[in-house]
Amino acid sequence: MASYILRRLLLTLPVLAGIVVITFLLTRLSGDPTDLLLPPNATDEARAAFRSVNGLDRPLWEQFVAFAIRAATGDFGTSLRFEQPAMQLVLDRLPATAELAAATMAIALGIGIPAGVIAATQRGKAADGLIRAVMLLGQAIPSFFLGVLGIIVFAVWLRWLPTGGRGDWAQLVLPATTLAFNLVALIARVTRSCMLDVLKQDYVRTARAKGVWERRVIWLHALRNAFIPVLTVIGLQVGLLLGGVVVTETIFSWPGVGRLAIQAIYARDFPVVQAVVFVFAVIFVMVNLVVDLLYALLDPRIGYK
Amino acid sequence: MLAQSPFAEPLAAGPRPPVALICRFRRSCARRVAGLFVLVAMGLVGQPALAQAPRTLTIAQGFDPQTLWPNGTTASDNLNAGGAIVEALLWSNPADGKIQPMLAQTWERTSPTTMKLSLRPNVAFTNGEAMNADAVVHSFTVFLDPRQAPAYANYAAAIDRVEKVDDLTVNVHTKFPYPAFELMLTQVYVTPPAYWASVGLQGFGQKPVGTGPFKLTEWVKDNRVVMDRNRAYWGKGPTGLDRVVWRPVPDDTARVAGLTTGEYDIATNVPISSIADVNAQRDRRVIETPSYRIFQLILSSLEEHPSPLHDKRVRQAVNHAIDKKAIIDNLFEGRAFALNGQLLRQSQLGYDPSLKDYPFDVNKAKALLAEAGHPNGIEITFKFPTGRYAQDREVSEAIAGMLAKAGIRTRLVSLEPGEFLRQLRNRELQPMAYIGLAPLDDPDFQLAQYRSNWRYAYIRNAELDALIDAGAREIDVAKRGEIYRQAGRLMHDLAPVAFLFGGFDFYGVTRKLEGFTPRGDQRFFLHDVTLKP
Repeated sequence: MASYILRRLLLTLPVLAGIVVITFLLTRLSGDPTDLLLPPNATDEARAAFRSVNGLDRPLWEQFVAFAIRAATGDFGTSLRFEQPAMQLVLDRLPATAELAAATMAIALGIGIPAGVIAATQRGKAADGLIRAVMLLGQAIPSFFLGVLGIIVFAVWLRWLPTGGRGDWAQLVLPATTLAFNLVALIARVTRSCMLDVLKQDYVRTARAKGVWERRVIWLHALRNAFIPVLTVIGLQVGLLLGGVVVTETIFSWPGVGRLAIQAIYARDFPVVQAVVFVFAVIFVMVNLVVDLLYALLDPRIGYK
Repeated sequence: MLAQSPFAEPLAAGPRPPVALICRFRRSCARRVAGLFVLVAMGLVGQPALAQAPRTLTIAQGFDPQTLWPNGTTASDNLNAGGAIVEALLWSNPADGKIQPMLAQTWERTSPTTMKLSLRPNVAFTNGEAMNADAVVHSFTVFLDPRQAPAYANYAAAIDRVEKVDDLTVNVHTKFPYPAFELMLTQVYVTPPAYWASVGLQGFGQKPVGTGPFKLTEWVKDNRVVMDRNRAYWGKGPTGLDRVVWRPVPDDTARVAGLTTGEYDIATNVPISSIADVNAQRDRRVIETPSYRIFQLILSSLEEHPSPLHDKRVRQAVNHAIDKKAIIDNLFEGRAFALNGQLLRQSQLGYDPSLKDYPFDVNKAKALLAEAGHPNGIEITFKFPTGRYAQDREVSEAIAGMLAKAGIRTRLVSLEPGEFLRQLRNRELQPMAYIGLAPLDDPDFQLAQYRSNWRYAYIRNAELDALIDAGAREIDVAKRGEIYRQAGRLMHDLAPVAFLFGGFDFYGVTRKLEGFTPRGDQRFFLHDVTLKP
C-alpha cells in the first residue's frame, strides 16, 4: 500500500507540472494586464514602469523560466493587483473554501445517500417519484439562480438568514445549501441506480432468505456494495465543487479562493490565477487518490500493491 | 463549526471501518436530520442573524480594496476606504463642487508656476508622527514616481519640483502655468515618512497610518475592513459614529438584499431596476448622483482608419440617427442626462448653453449620407464592451437598430472589458465604438483626450489641438472658459464622437445617515456625516 501511494504521488508530479505550463500559457494568451490595472489615461512612462516592475516586458520564455524556477519552490510570484505573494493570497482564503466545501459535502452526502436508498427501495412508489422529481430539479437549476433565489426568500422575505459574508454559522447555511443542491441530486441518482442493481444480486436474496432484518440488508449489505460507484462520483464531483465555489462565493460574498480566482481572472492577475489553478489541481488529485484508497476499505477484494 | 453539524460526524469518523460507519449512520440518521432542523429553526428564528454593533456604519461596495493607500490605484472602492484613513492636501466638496482645505489649510499662487501651501498646524498621524512639510515633500516624492504611483503619473506630469520652505510651508513648482493645480492637489495623499520607510509601499497599503477620521482596526481579506474612530482627529469628524465596516459584496442582487435587510447602511452601485424597491422602504432611500462618466460613440477620422466616417457629414448623420432621449427614457428610466452636443457637463467651466444636441432626425441623417456620396447607406463595424458599463450591450444594440433605420448598417463586435481597454489604448477601437470616459473634474482632463497626440484620440485637428493647449495653460478663469466654449463649438461641428448621454451613480443608504454626498467620480467622504440613532 505504501509503495502504491508513493508511486501515485510521484505520478502526480508530471500532472502538476503540465498544469503549471498550460496555465502559464493560457493566462498569457488572454492579453496584457497593464490595460486593466492602470487607468486608460496612464502615461506611457507609467505603463512601461508597471510592465518592468512586474517582468511583463521580458520575452515569454524568459518569464516562464523565471516563473518555473520560483514555482518549484512554491513561490508563484507577486499578485499584480494586490502586490502580495500570490500563493499566500490563495492559502489565506483556503480555510474559507474548505469550510464551505466540507459543509456542502456533508449536506450532499447526508441527504443524497438516504434519498437514493429510499428511492431505490420504494421504486415505483410515491416516495420514489417525489425524490426523482426533486433530483431532476436539483440538476436543472443552476447555482447562480438558486443562490439569488435563496437570498430573496430566506434573507429578504423571511429574514431568517444573512445575505452573505463569513463569520457565524448562519452565514454558511445558504451558500452550502446552494452548492449542495446539485450534488445532492447527483449522489441520490447514482445511489438509487447502484442500489437497484445491487438489490437484484444473489447475496441480497440470500441475506433475506437467511432472515436478516430488512433494514440491515439494505443499509449494510446492499449500500456497502453500492457505495463504490458513488464514491467514484464523489471524487470526480470535487472538480465540480471547486468550480461551483467560484460562482457561489461571489453571490454570497464568501471570502474564499473561488472569489479570489474570479477577481484574478477579470484583472488578468496571472500569478494569482496560476496559484489558484495549481492549488485546485493538487486538491483534485489528492481527493481522487484518497477515493482510490477508500475502495480498498469498502471492498476487501480490492488491494493495491 | 462543522462539529456542530449532525452530518459532520459520520464523515469526520475518518479511519473508522465503513461497516461501523454505516451502522452508526443508520441508527442515528433520522434523529440527526430532525436535530438539524431543530437547530436551524432555533438558531435562525430565535436570534437576529444580522445584529450590528451600535454606532456602526456598514458599507457594501463591489470589491475588497487591493490597497488602502489611496495613491495605489484610482479604483473608487480603494479610494473610499483608504481615504477614510489617509487624507489629501485638498478635497473637492461634492456638495458645492468647490475645492476646500484638508491638510493644506491655505494655498496661494505666488507665481504662474508656483503654489505656496500652508499646512494645517498641530496635526499628527495616528502613529504619533507629525504631519508637516517633510511628510508632504515625502508624499510628493512618492506621487511623482511612476514606479510607485503609476496610476497617478498623468496628474503628476505637470509638477516640476517640490520644496520645503519651513515646517508648515511647502512650495510646489509646475513646469508651466497649470490651471488644474488645485484639482491635482486633491489627488496627493499625505503619508508619514518614518512609518513609510519602515513598512514600504506594500506594507503601507496593508496597514496604512494617516491623519483621517478613522484608523484601521481589522482587515479580514475579502470579508470586512473594520475602522474605528480616530479620537485625536484634527477636525470635527463624523457624528454619532464610532466604527465603519466595509464589506465587499460583488453581486448586485446580494448587495441590494443586504441593504434591504439592514445588514448594510450604504450600498454602492444599486441597479436601476432596484431603485423603486429600495425607495419604497420606510428606512432606506437611493441617492442619485450625476456621474462624471460621459458616454459617446467614437467616430474615428484618423487616416490610418479608412472608413466613411472621414467625411464630417457622415459623422453628423450618425449623431442625427440616434434617439438619445429614447435610450435615456427606456433603458435608463430617465436616469441619465443629455449632453447637449458637447462633452463638458453643465457644472463645468467651458460648458456652452447655446449648444444643443443634434436633433433626432432620420431623414436628415439619410440626406447627409446621400450628400456625402452614400445614397444607399453605409456598412460599418461597431465595437462595444460587454460588462464594463451598465447595460453596455443593450445600449449598443439599441443604437445599432436606430442607425440601421437611417441606412447605417453595423457589424456589431462585442469585446470583453480587458480586450476593450487594450484596443482603446492602441487606437484599435475603430471606426466606431461605444465608450464612457470619466476623467477628473476639469475641462482639460476631459478635452485633452481628443488632442491629436493623446494615446487614445481618434481625431487629428490642429485647430482643436491649439484650443486644448491654450485652455490647459490659461490661468484666467474667464478667458479659459471662453477657450473651452470655442473648443466645444468646434467639436460640435466636427462631430468626432456621437454625443450620447451622461450617466448616474446610485447609492442605497439608510435614512438615518445625513450629510452623505457622493461625488460624480464615485468618491464619498465620511468626515462630516451624521448617523442618527
